[in-house]
Amino acid sequence: MAGELVSPTPALRGSARRTAALRLLRRRLIQAVPLMLGVVIINFCLIQMAPGSFLELMTAENQVSDPATVALLRKTYGLDDPVWMQLLKYIWALLHFDFGFSYRQNMPVIQAIWIHLPATVLLMVSSIALAISIGVAAGVVASMKVRTFWDSLVSVAAMFFYAAPSFWLGIMMIVLFSVKLGWLPVGGMMKIGGDGGVLEILHHLILPTLALGLFYAAIYTRVMRSSMLEVAQLDFVRTARAKGLSRNQVTIHHVLRNALLPVVTILGVQMGTVLAGSVVIESVFSWPGVGSLLFDSVSSRNYPVVLGIMVLGSLVVIAANIAVDLVYMWLDPRIEIR
Amino acid sequence: MTIKVSRRVFGAGVLAVGVAGTSRGSVAQGTPKRGGTLVATWGGGEPQACYVPAGGGSSPTFSSSKLFERLALRRMDGKFEGVLAESWKPSADFKSYTVKIRKGVKFHDGKDMTVDDVVYSVSEIWKKYAVASALTDFAGIDSPDADTVVFKYNNPTPEFFFASTLCSPVAYIVPKHVYAGSDPVTNPANNAPIATGPWKFKEWVRGSHFEYVKNENYWKKDEPYLDRLIIRYVRDPAGRAAAMEAGDIHIGVFNPVAPPDIKRLTGTGKFVATPKGYEEAVWSTTLECNMRNPVFAKREVRQAMFHAINREFIAKTVYYGYARPGTGPIYSPNKEFYTADTFRTGFDPKKAAALLDAAGFPKKADGKRFTLNLLAAGWFPENGKVGAYVKQVLEDVGVGINLTVPDRPSSIKRIYTDYDFDLAISNQANPSEPVPSTTQYFTTDGILKGVPFRNASGYSNPDVDKLVASIKIETDPAKRKALVVEFQKIIAQEAPLLPLVELESITLASTKVQNHSNDPNFLAASWGDLWLAS
Repeated sequence: MAGELVSPTPALRGSARRTAALRLLRRRLIQAVPLMLGVVIINFCLIQMAPGSFLELMTAENQVSDPATVALLRKTYGLDDPVWMQLLKYIWALLHFDFGFSYRQNMPVIQAIWIHLPATVLLMVSSIALAISIGVAAGVVASMKVRTFWDSLVSVAAMFFYAAPSFWLGIMMIVLFSVKLGWLPVGGMMKIGGDGGVLEILHHLILPTLALGLFYAAIYTRVMRSSMLEVAQLDFVRTARAKGLSRNQVTIHHVLRNALLPVVTILGVQMGTVLAGSVVIESVFSWPGVGSLLFDSVSSRNYPVVLGIMVLGSLVVIAANIAVDLVYMWLDPRIEIR
Repeated sequence: MTIKVSRRVFGAGVLAVGVAGTSRGSVAQGTPKRGGTLVATWGGGEPQACYVPAGGGSSPTFSSSKLFERLALRRMDGKFEGVLAESWKPSADFKSYTVKIRKGVKFHDGKDMTVDDVVYSVSEIWKKYAVASALTDFAGIDSPDADTVVFKYNNPTPEFFFASTLCSPVAYIVPKHVYAGSDPVTNPANNAPIATGPWKFKEWVRGSHFEYVKNENYWKKDEPYLDRLIIRYVRDPAGRAAAMEAGDIHIGVFNPVAPPDIKRLTGTGKFVATPKGYEEAVWSTTLECNMRNPVFAKREVRQAMFHAINREFIAKTVYYGYARPGTGPIYSPNKEFYTADTFRTGFDPKKAAALLDAAGFPKKADGKRFTLNLLAAGWFPENGKVGAYVKQVLEDVGVGINLTVPDRPSSIKRIYTDYDFDLAISNQANPSEPVPSTTQYFTTDGILKGVPFRNASGYSNPDVDKLVASIKIETDPAKRKALVVEFQKIIAQEAPLLPLVELESITLASTKVQNHSNDPNFLAASWGDLWLAS
């Protein structure tokens, strides 16, 4: 949903920038409505097409053999309605912030997701922060030391972490740092029976964050390097150098800020894939997040929870892209986004 | 009483009505040391609820069996032992059983356990959910006095059958004051149970672990030895292996790690692996013929399918030797009823081809006799590997195979609701008592569309139905065994569904863990007698 960039115009300042930002925000929110509707309809239809249902699994696990009981359960869960009716009821419920009921957890869907959400948000935020920090720093170093040993080192490392499957990387890090060296915990979010303090959680967060974040760091490194090299050739950079600014001043104040735009673009697009990546990483590290819940829910055809996570995930992606648009405007005041 | 399902994912699928036993101290290892925290895991995922009244599979059985107790258990030596029941005896006509209930037992909330709790549990939980298929002849339960209940049946009920029902891993005594007047399936107490067992529920951190603490008022004054029991869930087998190697987990039941890791970890000298503790829940990988396909009308065709398959190869290659070839519907560890003296469908591809020729299915110009849809249930990853092998060997004898490996919900639907298969590779876990857990795969009344882990093959044989009906009511142990042997002989020859291999489930434990694997269904034991060496 990242916006279309229009040819640079004279920079907006002060209240004009705020007005433009608010206008953009309003436009994006209006556009989000049909987008969300599409997400709900497509996901609902995809789930309907999957063979097997949560009712069949539930009756299997509970050895329900009485046809009358099965019929009652179908009615209870609204499965005796036509599919289109089920969809309309679901959309209507969503409009009232009702995500449905999870039979498996025996609680409302939103509550089931809410229990797991903080762990996933923490993992996503830390992974993205790590990826941006390492990616930007490594990309800048590689571009400033282009065609040197350091450039090669960064490129090789980026290629390795880009190519390595994150689940494999996670297991290898567990073997090295947890089993062999004993420095970090194997999994979980906190020590069982521990105080659950910040330091304890951070201690458990290190490996999952590295396993998830290094892949994206590799991408940002490559993008940042090429973007830095491209921006460094532009006229305004040459002008800055001609003004007598130091190399560091030119790099930080003129090249870096403009070179960040592609990274910001990718960040917005990749919010969804980071969430998807957390499904695998949470499984490897027993991280009690939404990814684990999604995995279990798909396996058990727990459709209300799957749909709930899809809808919330879509909201996160939409919100991230709106934020990206606003960051564009902040990074380059000349940019106007339609 | 059959436990059937998926070993890792499904947690062994649906624990129908498993008959299990629990024996304590049969493998006592030194003087117990008190205190400490034991961290355990198993080869599957987190349960849908801590306690599922209908069983719900091995995962909730694992989590709930440390909190709840049964009336009786079965020991390693095969004898039955009272838990919440002190004794039981049949009437002269075997149509009723008088059970003396243990006195002085309290629930975790401090309330006394009484015969009212037993009557409620049997009539409202067992009969309706937990062991319904074992109580089809059940006529009711009375409590003539404060220490006694009387189970009444419509027909004579064998003692072994009755005791096995009391020992079912899901036949718990639940608190009436918590469950009465509610829907047991959705009662919030299912996620924070109040029971009578050696462990009290403290916390469930979803996605991570259960924490149980010592029940200070447990009726067995010496137990539990440990202060705390943690059941931790690690989805990935490699993650479990790493957690055990790092010392974060002390014991894993039901194949917690991949076979190569078993050898690696035991090689360190810090772990032991044992197949003991699964005698009352022996798993198998089965091949099932859909009788609705006309090609299976002749039993020689069904026999040919099995003759084409090298079961030794499957045991050694797919299961790394943690399996043995199956012979018949009752598995070899079953000391009460197993017989090796049955018709054998051993590996003999030439005989398979000859049987198919004789049955009127010669090879056609394209080299195929006919083509079948082979479904390998995807709840265990090994099933897909067995499926790939079976496809290859059946194609070698001229049977075209379309192999699919659907996931768990799809497999259940296609096998048990749609009957959408010609051959199915599935799994069973059976206790010693064959009725109904084993027999319901072969009797006509086991054909229940949409009900998993019943007779999906559609096999119907009046002689088998009559035989099973006799097994159900025969109270003389010797005569009953003879009937079960006859049942095995018929099924082995008829071959509608047979085990390809009997699986050896493995418990992997730190050498510090003492008294483990001392129960024929160790996963479902209370673990009050486990302790940790220094």
